[in-house]
Amino acid sequence: MKPRLLRPASALLLLAGLAAPLLAGGGQDPPHGAAPPAAPAQPAPQAGVPAHAESLSSAATEGGEEPAHGAAAPAGPHARAPLHVPLRITEPARVVSPGEEYVDSLAGKQPGRFRKDGEHWVDNTGEFAWDEDEEIYWQTISADQLTRGRQDFVQFCSSCHGLEGDGYGRSAQHLRPPPRSFQQSTFKFTKVPSDKLPNDDAIITLVRHGLDGTPMYKWAVSEERLHDIVQYIKSLSPEGSGWRDPTNEIGAVVETAPDPWTDESAAIAAGEAAYHRNQCYGCHPAYVTAPRLNEIRGVDPTTAYGADLTYPKLKKDSSYEVLGYKVAILPPDFTWQTMRYSADARETYQTIASGIGGAGMPTWKGAMPDKDLWAIAHYVRHLTDTWKDKPGRAAFMAGLRKAP
Amino acid sequence: MNARPSGRSLRARRPAWLASLAALLALACAPALSAQVVADRWGPNPPASAEGHRVDTLFWLITTMISASFVIVLLLLLIPVLRDRARPGHRASYDHGSSLHDKRFTAIVSVIVFIVLDASVLYITMRDLREVVWNIPRPGGNTYQVEVLAQQWAWNFRVPGPDGRFGTSDDIVTINALTLPVDRPAVFNLASKDVIHSFYVPDMRVKRDANPGAINQVWFQPAVTGNYDILCAELCGYAHYQMHGTLAVLPQAEFEAWQQEAGALALAAWDGNDSEANWAWEWKENTP
Repeated sequence: MKPRLLRPASALLLLAGLAAPLLAGGGQDPPHGAAPPAAPAQPAPQAGVPAHAESLSSAATEGGEEPAHGAAAPAGPHARAPLHVPLRITEPARVVSPGEEYVDSLAGKQPGRFRKDGEHWVDNTGEFAWDEDEEIYWQTISADQLTRGRQDFVQFCSSCHGLEGDGYGRSAQHLRPPPRSFQQSTFKFTKVPSDKLPNDDAIITLVRHGLDGTPMYKWAVSEERLHDIVQYIKSLSPEGSGWRDPTNEIGAVVETAPDPWTDESAAIAAGEAAYHRNQCYGCHPAYVTAPRLNEIRGVDPTTAYGADLTYPKLKKDSSYEVLGYKVAILPPDFTWQTMRYSADARETYQTIASGIGGAGMPTWKGAMPDKDLWAIAHYVRHLTDTWKDKPGRAAFMAGLRKAP
Repeated sequence: MNARPSGRSLRARRPAWLASLAALLALACAPALSAQVVADRWGPNPPASAEGHRVDTLFWLITTMISASFVIVLLLLLIPVLRDRARPGHRASYDHGSSLHDKRFTAIVSVIVFIVLDASVLYITMRDLREVVWNIPRPGGNTYQVEVLAQQWAWNFRVPGPDGRFGTSDDIVTINALTLPVDRPAVFNLASKDVIHSFYVPDMRVKRDANPGAINQVWFQPAVTGNYDILCAELCGYAHYQMHGTLAVLPQAEFEAWQQEAGALALAAWDGNDSEANWAWEWKENTP
């Protein structure tokens, strides 16, 4: 029968089709062989791994070859990426608890768990324990919780914040401003007075909110997992610093006074005066001409200023280090840069009131009346809303810079 | 063995044949006619780059031809299903389609389909690749160069300041925000810090992978001012869906004002000792 003739032919064709890619691909150099290798042929630098971390994946990748690679490979930023990612933590960590109020409220919520011993609570689970000498509650985070937190941290956070929370993950290279290192315990936008460590709620609020204009997005992670991640972050403080230093105070998000301004334009006018009177232009740009500035400050009308009056002034030698270098920080020009955590007047008020840790922005709450703080918040929001990414911005700034 | 139905039965159904043929032709044209309607309603935005229409042309050509072929094949299947259906007085006939007539018919149809569909698409594709995609403008002159450094999960852009050179103190570095002049070819030099990303600007009809350890190039010439999305088109990890940038295309005069101001602010932010923050690449050595 005729059709049978076709069968061997089609079988051959099929075979040829299957074999072609194999034949073409095998034995040849890749076309981009000259490109530099992307992955570092580097062993895990165990120095950065906390002592309580245990490697899960000893057989993961080319474990046997490691010493040979490691001996010759140069040390550099890429050398940090380990081949083994330890995911299990075997020892609990002891950190400073969020404070007496936190334990009090927890005791109210979980009545069976705590009993009073004198003035302080005794936690039957052993998580919180009063220290007579330091006069604080210590919090003991279980190894299981740390392990859960670490696993989510590695998945969600480590690309920037580093596998060991050192703020220098693979994606953090070249990034300015740099991601937080959880080994330095300096936080910028937790809205907690900048001399205190943020409590759990402040960190969770920040992670949920994200930081505008940076790769720190609004993270949609469930409440339980986020709680575990925060516990893990606290355990990353080196011994004797951050959450492992009993002298460090844990603070809550700065208290937000009610907005005293009902008339927006009055608030903006008052804000303009307060902004320039309190010398915000020392770091941020001034948004008035030099004569007007002298008028607001009530100084000699001929007082002259530098050419950078209407530009932000770079703050070098901040307290924030990346690879041993103190990175410079540029205060924002509100008509140009995206504010990180100031989407409305209330958030702006909180940022000004709490200050920005490690960046030179002091805690303003208490340093000036709340009414002025609110006025400045309204004024700063007004600057952003009116001029940022707007066509009239260039003319506005040129008008300020024009010689009188 | 006679595979054909008798001539008498075919003649008797001539009106039905004609009707099916007419319907077949009408349906084959329908996709072409409705393409514009579909594009307006559900299609992407009109291309905002000078050569973006080529992608649309090719897309709709393929869609129309494939749809038409699909309709024709379906109708050709429908004819024997109706004509030779089981009914009293009709005997089934069996055929392997191995006669010379059948083979010739198959060969002719295959050649026609190949020429009309595959060859034309291949020709247009190769022409577009040669004339546009691979024809990357040389550095210098009117060309605007952009360095794109992708990361989990953001786009870092570095463009030259008013001095027009990379690696100097007025380089403008932005995250997830890019500003381009209209009507000037923009060449993107793509790389990645960590994993593979894909630089995707749907309105400009451009998509190209950004790989760690290599620099890929892609270019387009913005033709319409406005704001556009920059997306990542390669699953790159947990927050891939949030990896979103904005492209602003400005008229030349506005762009120059932007460049002046951004350059001045970049100068204010520049810290010469922070070698890690200055990541301009060395491709600029190729500049004539």
